[in-house]
Amino acid sequence: MTQFVVLSRRAVREVLRTPESLFPTVFIPLFFLVVNVGQAGRIFPTGETSFLEGQGYAAFQVPSALLLAASFGSAALYLVEDIEGGYFDKLRASPVSRTAIVLGRLSAEAVKSVVISTVIVLAALPFGISVASGVLGFVLLVTLAGAWAVVFSGFMQLIALKSRSAAATQSGSLVFFPLLFLTPNFVPRDLLTRPMEIAATFNPVTYIMEALRSLILDDLAWARIGRGFGVVALFGVVMVAMNVRTIRAYD
Amino acid sequence: MGLAVEANQLVKRFTGRSGTVDAVRGVDLRVEEGEVFGFLGPNGAGKSTTVRMLTTLMTITSGSARVAGVDVTVDPDGARRGIGVALQEAGLDPRQTGRELLVLQARLFGSSPSAAAGRAADLLELVELVDAADRRIKGYSGGMKRRLDLASALVHQPKVLFLDEPTTGLDPASRLTVWEELRRINAQGTTVFLTTQYLEEADQLCNRLAIIDGGVIVREGTPGELKAELRQRAALDNDPSLDDVFLDATGRTRERVAGQVREVLG
Repeated sequence: MTQFVVLSRRAVREVLRTPESLFPTVFIPLFFLVVNVGQAGRIFPTGETSFLEGQGYAAFQVPSALLLAASFGSAALYLVEDIEGGYFDKLRASPVSRTAIVLGRLSAEAVKSVVISTVIVLAALPFGISVASGVLGFVLLVTLAGAWAVVFSGFMQLIALKSRSAAATQSGSLVFFPLLFLTPNFVPRDLLTRPMEIAATFNPVTYIMEALRSLILDDLAWARIGRGFGVVALFGVVMVAMNVRTIRAYD
Repeated sequence: MGLAVEANQLVKRFTGRSGTVDAVRGVDLRVEEGEVFGFLGPNGAGKSTTVRMLTTLMTITSGSARVAGVDVTVDPDGARRGIGVALQEAGLDPRQTGRELLVLQARLFGSSPSAAAGRAADLLELVELVDAADRRIKGYSGGMKRRLDLASALVHQPKVLFLDEPTTGLDPASRLTVWEELRRINAQGTTVFLTTQYLEEADQLCNRLAIIDGGVIVREGTPGELKAELRQRAALDNDPSLDDVFLDATGRTRERVAGQVREVLG
């Protein structure tokens, strides 16, 4: 536990000491939020669009912004720096739990994502967006975004460990775009064309997005929320296990 | 005295798209506790691969190894507790300060926060980095980074210290400082396993050494023994240098080209 705590603190310190890396993580999702709402907002007017539950189209788009922000993790790139600079070998040559090495960085990503998600939601509030599920819903919202950050950063760390290359790791992050766009990103799942609906149904990100959306638009809809948390829990366990296994076999 | 490092028929085989390469081919090593043991060889001879196997950083294809009395394959964490490692690349985190790095390393080895802070302060004094302790490592010079790396390998007072080319790239003054540190560390009872490209360094520091070439040990003994053996075998009038021993052992010779001495394959 001590090893996990000290490695987490180190990873948080790393994030705080590179504030320039945080700017695009906040700016790009807000940019997409504004652009998406600007382009499609008039198609879905408030009051006449049932799936908006009385809110504006921006409320429907906030989950996409949160998922995008949570997918801009830097943990994998810091890991590549550690590998290239030799610090990763220093850690491996110490009697440190491999799980602590993996979770140390991922926990910093979770903390970073919770803070950034809070900033994005707060930035959206003046534009008439409210979190219909209340304070508990808000906590669940940022927690789920933070948990997704752990899953996606775990996937990126896996690429970093396998490739040991910053370029390959950076390219790997692009996989998020098909994952994000094969979801009910612009309309609910039942309004998608049949092929897109099938693709979205098989895409795990869909269930996280629907859980986030229900927390903003509905009261606490536990079935949807549970599915979202279930997906991140399942993929989180898989990613951590694969990371630990890869470090153990690392030559 | 027991053995600090023991390797039996150590083999490392790499298999890739272009085929199979045996980087280390049946290395046997015995290093006594308290020794400074030099491990020499030309580039690509298998030095670093051997060190990485001994320090648990690389899996062993076949054979066995014990460091600080622990089998590195059976109980890698036990072996890690007994060794300190400073590799060719100074393994440091440039965003941390020197003090933070040492405290973190001590905490990873199980020290309490106050004990870790105390140990970090002692080590910073030992490697003469007290003034730079609270500066970020990315601003350190090459020599300072090497000394800090050495300090971080010592936080848990290891029984065996592995140093892979610790003075490569350092200016002569920094090199002498590292030598002094190594002598001091060894005098306190730590066994030192040193790989180096600098034969003068091996001559100055090592009680005993082994030369590896093509993945196999080609010479082993004290510097004096190795020189005497070459003098006798080659019927030389004067004592050869360790350079001569190295070149003889690795099948290389020297030639003078445009005023510079360079190695060529014999």
